[in-house]
Amino acid sequence: MEYGKPEMMAAAIIRQIEDGDIVFHGLASSTPMVAMKAAKAMGKEFTYLTLSDGVDHDWTRAPYVASTLTENTYTGSVATFGLDEIFDLYCSGKGDIAFLSCLQMDKEGRIAMSYLGGDYERPKLRGPGGAGSATLPPVTKKTTIWKTTHDKKTFIEHVDFATTSPPLDKEMTVITPLCIFKKPVGEKYLKVAYIFPFTTLEEVKENTGWEIDQMEVPVMNPPTEEELTALKKVDPNNILHFEFK
Amino acid sequence: MIHALRAGAYGIPFMPVGGMWGSDLVGIRPEFYQIMKSPFDGAEVVCVKALAPDYAIVHVQEADIYGNCRILGPSYQDALMARAAKKTIVTAERIVGSYRMQEEPKLTAIPHFLVQAVVELPGGAKPGICYPEYQGVEWDKHKAYQKAVKADEVQKFADMMLEGRL
Repeated sequence: MEYGKPEMMAAAIIRQIEDGDIVFHGLASSTPMVAMKAAKAMGKEFTYLTLSDGVDHDWTRAPYVASTLTENTYTGSVATFGLDEIFDLYCSGKGDIAFLSCLQMDKEGRIAMSYLGGDYERPKLRGPGGAGSATLPPVTKKTTIWKTTHDKKTFIEHVDFATTSPPLDKEMTVITPLCIFKKPVGEKYLKVAYIFPFTTLEEVKENTGWEIDQMEVPVMNPPTEEELTALKKVDPNNILHFEFK
Repeated sequence: MIHALRAGAYGIPFMPVGGMWGSDLVGIRPEFYQIMKSPFDGAEVVCVKALAPDYAIVHVQEADIYGNCRILGPSYQDALMARAAKKTIVTAERIVGSYRMQEEPKLTAIPHFLVQAVVELPGGAKPGICYPEYQGVEWDKHKAYQKAVKADEVQKFADMMLEGRL
């Protein structure tokens, strides 16, 4: 079966999730939404929390728009658990994964989500800011950032205003269309953990705004038939491709 | 924001929050965020100032004429906002008899004594979503709204919407 960057990123997201995990994604998160539904379709046993209040909604309901606040993330839920309760759960150390995105990121994994350009009072672009982004990374076991562009404007040497910074005592994973960065527990800087099969370490270096001094990194396995089948099954309207247009 | 509203609802001046460490937001807004030491073990915590809005405006599926509200879809932080605000205005898809609340009191998300005004307003969340009444965003109208905000013409937009001319 054929695949491209969206399917590879979705497979990487699916592989982040382990049985027993409590997993959250927020607003405007079509990529992790489709990947998490596919992970459910593959039989992974994890708890799906999202901003719609729904807990473990009926994953067979296909997304029809990229918004993650529609009925397809609520109908068939077994409970409701609001964002305030989700934040409490994660702050008390019980949350495993939060899938978050960013406007920009630097080599320490510091994330710009509040604004770009100008300053805080008069930004050129006001971002969605720091609800989940500021609250969750310091307290989440495996914070995972997905970003559907990988270039030098996005991955920069130093972020001026960090909406959040990853804590030293936790790992952070960053999934891009080219590779996976990881900040291991106890370390300060992101490292390339895997590159995807269709790219090279050179291409990653050319598109990253900080110097990567690694000489060799493993190549992640391409999406499996099972992963691709699950993605197709849960996403007949191809919402997975929305962020890549 | 949630913790600030909680402090407002609890009637206390500030509230410690979890997370937030490593965020530049804490430094740039000293009038809202401060770092304090726990009086019990000296651990540092980020605190936010209480927020008690003058008004909360909440759209619900069902309300009775006294202001008891049932939220039949996602409730987000609506009940918390009603507890934190000085006054709450409720708009409702439909006005129902209080017997609906008496049947299942636990489904009343906001009790009447927190509510100062009830407005019957079917379609009041449009062009957004009010589950399960209408489940899709009306994007053309949403874009028209965004345009009106940028052009400082929200009043005109609201007039047209209320008159059904959009």
